[in-house]
Amino acid sequence: MRCHRCRGPANVEIRRSQTAYCASCYPEWFRAQVQERINHERMFRRDQRVLVAVSGGKDSLGLWHVLTRLGYQADGLYIRLGIADYSRRSQEKSEAFSAKYGLTLHQVDLERDHGFVVPDLLDTRSGKPCAACGTVKRYHFNKVAADLGYEVVATGHNLDDEAATLFGNVMHWNIDYLGRQGPVLESTHPRLVRKVKPLYRLSERETAAYAIIERIDYIVEECPMASGAKSLAYKGVLNALEEEQPGAKYRFLVGYLKEGRSTIRTGGFDQAADLRECVRCGQPTTGEVCAYCRMAARGRKKATSKDAKYGRRRAVAGTSPGLSADRR
Amino acid sequence: MRVTILPDRQVKEVHARTVGDLLKALGLLRDAHLVVRGDDILTSDVRLAEGDELEVWPVISGGS
Repeated sequence: MRCHRCRGPANVEIRRSQTAYCASCYPEWFRAQVQERINHERMFRRDQRVLVAVSGGKDSLGLWHVLTRLGYQADGLYIRLGIADYSRRSQEKSEAFSAKYGLTLHQVDLERDHGFVVPDLLDTRSGKPCAACGTVKRYHFNKVAADLGYEVVATGHNLDDEAATLFGNVMHWNIDYLGRQGPVLESTHPRLVRKVKPLYRLSERETAAYAIIERIDYIVEECPMASGAKSLAYKGVLNALEEEQPGAKYRFLVGYLKEGRSTIRTGGFDQAADLRECVRCGQPTTGEVCAYCRMAARGRKKATSKDAKYGRRRAVAGTSPGLSADRR
Repeated sequence: MRVTILPDRQVKEVHARTVGDLLKALGLLRDAHLVVRGDDILTSDVRLAEGDELEVWPVISGGS
């Protein structure tokens, strides 16, 4: 296989477009794809400050690397979720990346600052904390961005993530979620920061190839709590289809965003009109107490009972979000 | 050839003519893995030699 640009030996094959690139040309192609999406979707400008949601994985570190190379003002936020050794190693990867490139990395430590960890949030039916973990991350990414004046939060969601989410929402006919799925989630409240997904048309394999070629040291293993998660099952189904029909994931997602989304009626849910401030934390919510505060209270209760059972004492357990930042 | 499968670094001896054949022999999907020799990612048509030392990187992540 030959590189589409320089005709030298290729390294990365893009089966959906029947092209391939060598290791020299590939990063430029990848960054151009991201830039094109940022421009086309009007995600953000170079004079705006962007907060990148960083997990230590290939997608978030790859995105941070791309945005920095493209000249955007991008800082990172890492949330220490308390998933044993996995969190420690992903934190190390995130810190090492910010140190290598001299970037600012903000951090929130759930256990230290909020008195619980993600394993305290197991769902009683599925036995998984993944949905609750998503709520935790969305809450803190938004809150830190709003508190520190960032105009946009960028996440590393890729084509596989978005296609799997779409597949799950179709499987369960989650009409409200279907109506809201897209690469840009506009702000509907002064304290709700705009969310964007610059990698949404690039596959997981393509982001991994970018990270490997750019020598980004990322955490390769899967989160131990995600084993058996529904999204991984959906990704497996979609990748099996992709094996037979290259481009199936791309056509499914992009076709939906272009043709299907506008036909979805979300039942008249008006987020802007229904929002008020949580009585505990002040963040926007539709109820009196936001989903995060309710969940955090459950998590703290679980953590306290575990501590009593095992005779442990925690240093701090409060409700005000702690935040630290390193300029490397 | 000797194949190391990440992240557990499980080592397997596999006989395969090309990278595509290798993934098939291991029962792995092309869109969910990258095959690396030294510092180079390999496309599926690359011919392999018996003495090759290869790594297979999984690319799938996520929960919820």
